[in-house]
Amino acid sequence: MSTPARRRLMRDFKRLQQDPPAGVSAAPTENNIMIWNAVIFGPHDTPFEDGTFKLTLEFTEEYPNKPPTVKFVSKMFHPNVYADGGICLDILQNRWSPTYDVAAILTSIQSLLDEPNPNSPANSLAAQLYQENRREYEKRVAAIVEQSWLNFQDEDEGEDMKKDT
Amino acid sequence: MFSDIKAGDTTPTHNHSSVRDWIVGDACTIHYTVMEQQHNAQESPTKPSEYDPDINQDELIKAQEKQIAEEIKANTAMIGSLDDLSTLEQEYSNDPVYSGKVKTLLPKYCNVRRTRPDGNCFLRGFIFAYLEYCIHHRDELARFKKYLEGSKEELFEMGFPKFTTEDFHDMFMEVVSDLEGSGSVDRVEAVCNDGGTSDYLVVYLRLLISSHLQKNAEFFSFFIEGGRTVEEFCKQEVEPMYRECDHLHIVALTAAVGVGVRVMYLDRGEGAAVASHDFPEDSTPVIHLLYRPGHYDILYNKA
Repeated sequence: MSTPARRRLMRDFKRLQQDPPAGVSAAPTENNIMIWNAVIFGPHDTPFEDGTFKLTLEFTEEYPNKPPTVKFVSKMFHPNVYADGGICLDILQNRWSPTYDVAAILTSIQSLLDEPNPNSPANSLAAQLYQENRREYEKRVAAIVEQSWLNFQDEDEGEDMKKDT
Repeated sequence: MFSDIKAGDTTPTHNHSSVRDWIVGDACTIHYTVMEQQHNAQESPTKPSEYDPDINQDELIKAQEKQIAEEIKANTAMIGSLDDLSTLEQEYSNDPVYSGKVKTLLPKYCNVRRTRPDGNCFLRGFIFAYLEYCIHHRDELARFKKYLEGSKEELFEMGFPKFTTEDFHDMFMEVVSDLEGSGSVDRVEAVCNDGGTSDYLVVYLRLLISSHLQKNAEFFSFFIEGGRTVEEFCKQEVEPMYRECDHLHIVALTAAVGVGVRVMYLDRGEGAAVASHDFPEDSTPVIHLLYRPGHYDILYNKA
């Protein structure tokens, strides 16, 4: 059944394919257009560089009137990301505009990585380290960047094993 | 079709293929596990407790807001039926201030149409009442269509994202063209009560307001509270859905679209009569709205 939300999500997907923004990509899951998987690549010249961070976007029938629920699936260490991967970002809450699409959401989250707002912390340790001990902060970020590759490698091995059997 | 996905130019080569696997959903087992865990967590009863920094507060607030919105949605149509104004009198039978003021409306107005109090009531009331007016005034519908056609480019010039703005614009044009052909009040009622269509109209009106405010930022900046710029005000109070319309929104919308609106203010303010205000000032109103603190309904003039 085509609803306004689904129609718009198909449009968003078409646009992502035709005009893909740098450093992010996303697609609906195979059997549910309301749930998307995405990857954000850590921006150059930031502690997040080379990270490949997985996220999920969960839309409701109220999209685009209401934002999707966006969560990091990859482990994240960031002042504005909760332990469960939830993201504290104004455009995903009270500054959401129906003119944002999936590409806009992901590029905003990508910029958030290097431009945290330590005044509304979702991870108080990350916020504290970001303000008081940048070296330690960057060390922790480096750890989750490495972990983000491992996630993909694990899957590759898993895939290979499946192929072997 | 998924093979067309291009990762950004920052893709480290060593994991390119698995990145694609993740995205196209071949490897979403991790994702589903996470989703299930969240789902289970939501179902377990949670008692209100002190602030816990580990709990995602945004999610809790969102869930509560959603519950309230669902209740309103279940109880009120976006645009209600045409009711006799005496129903308003009955609402306030125990309230001498309000019932006294409602009585002063009776000589001028005969009917009221209630709108859903979801923060979009002014805009939904406005567009319903205006399109209904246009059904009986075809020349006005033609003028509005022409204005709408031109408004798209104007929004692009103001920097609104082309891709999504166009979507809202096209839907609005479709509705207007459809009314041109086979318009009836029933049709307007159906369109404005169809969730998807109705909300798209409201979104586009919000963009028109935002554009008008920003285009005249120098003037409007004097009326914005809290030390915000006009742009910030638009991002916070105009463009997001479900955000109530204030004086400033109404001034901007009526000026942008060129449609006169009279608002009757039913509140506990001084005087026995209901205060009224016309937007834009000195215009001839074609739409009459009833304001009660925090909410707008549609009023119908006695013929």
